[in-house]
Amino acid sequence: MILFALLLIPFTYLMLALLIKKAGIKKRLAILFSTLNLLWAMALVPIVQYREIIVVQMGGWSAPFGISLVADRFSVLMLLVTAFIFFLITVYATQSVDKARRKNGHFFFTFGILMGVNGSFMAGDLFNLYVWFEVMLMSSFILVSLGGERKQLEGSIKYLILNLISSLFFVAGIGLLYGKLGSLNLADLSQKMELARANLAVLNPALILIFVGFSIKGALFPFFFWLPASYHTPPPAVSALFAGLLTKVGIYSLIRFYTLFLYYDAGFWQQVVLWMGALSMVIGVIAASSQYDFRKILSFHIISQVGYVVIALGFFTEAALTAAIFFLVHNMLSKTNAFLVAGWVHREKGTLNLKVLGDMFKKSPVWGILFFISAFSLAGLPPLSGFFGKYLVLQSGIEAGYTGVAMLALFVGLFTLFSMVKIWLEVFWKKQPEDSAMEWPVNQKPAHWMLFSSLALGTAIVAMGLWAAPIAEYCQAAAQDLLNPSKYIEYVLGPS
Amino acid sequence: MEYIIAIFIGLLYACGVYLVLRRSIVKVILGVFVLSNATNLIIFLSGGITRGGAAFIPEGAETVDPATISDPLPQALILTAIVISLGISAYILALKYRYFDVTGTHDLDQLKNTDQR
Repeated sequence: MILFALLLIPFTYLMLALLIKKAGIKKRLAILFSTLNLLWAMALVPIVQYREIIVVQMGGWSAPFGISLVADRFSVLMLLVTAFIFFLITVYATQSVDKARRKNGHFFFTFGILMGVNGSFMAGDLFNLYVWFEVMLMSSFILVSLGGERKQLEGSIKYLILNLISSLFFVAGIGLLYGKLGSLNLADLSQKMELARANLAVLNPALILIFVGFSIKGALFPFFFWLPASYHTPPPAVSALFAGLLTKVGIYSLIRFYTLFLYYDAGFWQQVVLWMGALSMVIGVIAASSQYDFRKILSFHIISQVGYVVIALGFFTEAALTAAIFFLVHNMLSKTNAFLVAGWVHREKGTLNLKVLGDMFKKSPVWGILFFISAFSLAGLPPLSGFFGKYLVLQSGIEAGYTGVAMLALFVGLFTLFSMVKIWLEVFWKKQPEDSAMEWPVNQKPAHWMLFSSLALGTAIVAMGLWAAPIAEYCQAAAQDLLNPSKYIEYVLGPS
Repeated sequence: MEYIIAIFIGLLYACGVYLVLRRSIVKVILGVFVLSNATNLIIFLSGGITRGGAAFIPEGAETVDPATISDPLPQALILTAIVISLGISAYILALKYRYFDVTGTHDLDQLKNTDQR
């Protein structure tokens, strides 16, 4: 029940929202249920500290036969950050998303995403993971196109087709893996792979298919094209939700998959993961620096930042996995907040083109400072969370003997700083070019809840930098569990 | 029988990839449907196929020869995958219809406005 509630809360909202017609009540219920979800996720943290890995067997079927929900420290951390971000974005959306969209199910589908994301973080079964992916994707397909503007429809066709193909890769991989090993339970599969260590080559097609599926979802280097083509089309509150949660689910699954399966053949996979991570880092950041749209720059930076997590996964030491988890959390917070600020700029000016914007700092210093915090946290300036994230990644890389990749990460950080300074100068600092001052109606409606969300995230980013040590300690405990799959197997399947 | 189905799956994948690479959005969508059917068949085949064996264990039987009964799990997986792809197919066709309404085109080359230039 303790884990099941995280699925039940969004599900209850979905059912209630179907019955209720009034937009006002839907909005209040959305805030209520996202608060409940946050409180429940917070309650899981002390439980996981005490029980280490929480396992729930659905329907009372014992482990390899039924569906297990599993949450170790890593999952719980992800669930908590997801719940926090989701709550703030729900509050933000009450003022940022227009009434027509809210009436037509904006909150309904965001809760669909929440349910899918929560499910994916807890899935202990490969096919179950696929189903949660689909729940999440289906809701996100609709959210991208909700509103039916031309660019939205265009973006959603690209988003939809590439993500469907990634799902097909994933399912084909699951089918082949089942055919070879006869199980779908992650723990059971991992155990069986250890027994079949001599003939692992026969599993490679299945593993590669699943790996490609996760890489498309996580927007890694050769597979990222859907992301910058679609993330800047929906309303900013939706982009923020996607940027904070969706690719991170792909990366989470990749880390889980790597630590349970791929490490058996580390010689090959380590190279693949390192190359893909390094190339995502470099290409994402270079593509971003040529853009002149606020949200497009941030979208390309998602690819680049995901690369940091993946190279840390490639180093594959305890310190490196600690760094990967820490960086993932930092990135979810900072990236979401940057998108929230973009949403405010869009609301005030009706455009996100850097060339025609300007003077935003004069307009509202508070929002300016909030952007400053999240952007320079992404760029890795102390004392913000990004500094410690990057520091941990670099340190673990050099310790593991991958100095070249670590130096590359440092170099990419420089480019990130360049893009962030560019946005800062163009949007907030420079004088707005007079000939480009458009007729955009001054928005009279208050934006205090938008500001509240962004302030809360900004505070979280600063707090994560100031209290980096206890968080890193928690991440380290999570990394130790990840590096010890036999513990995961024992908790899920019971002591052998 | 496995060989025939395997070759058939290969053909389906080839058709699907060919359709996905076409310029018309409708053909791309049809290609995705073909690919998803091919994937369902992969699951079916990889679970092992037995001729005429039901997925039941006779009552009171202590041991059963695995060659005589079929594995119910891949079939359950396919059923789930079919249901999911049904929902997605309905949605993607509606999206295509709406897109055609707004723009009056189904040429993929017209979809360049949101790209990263």
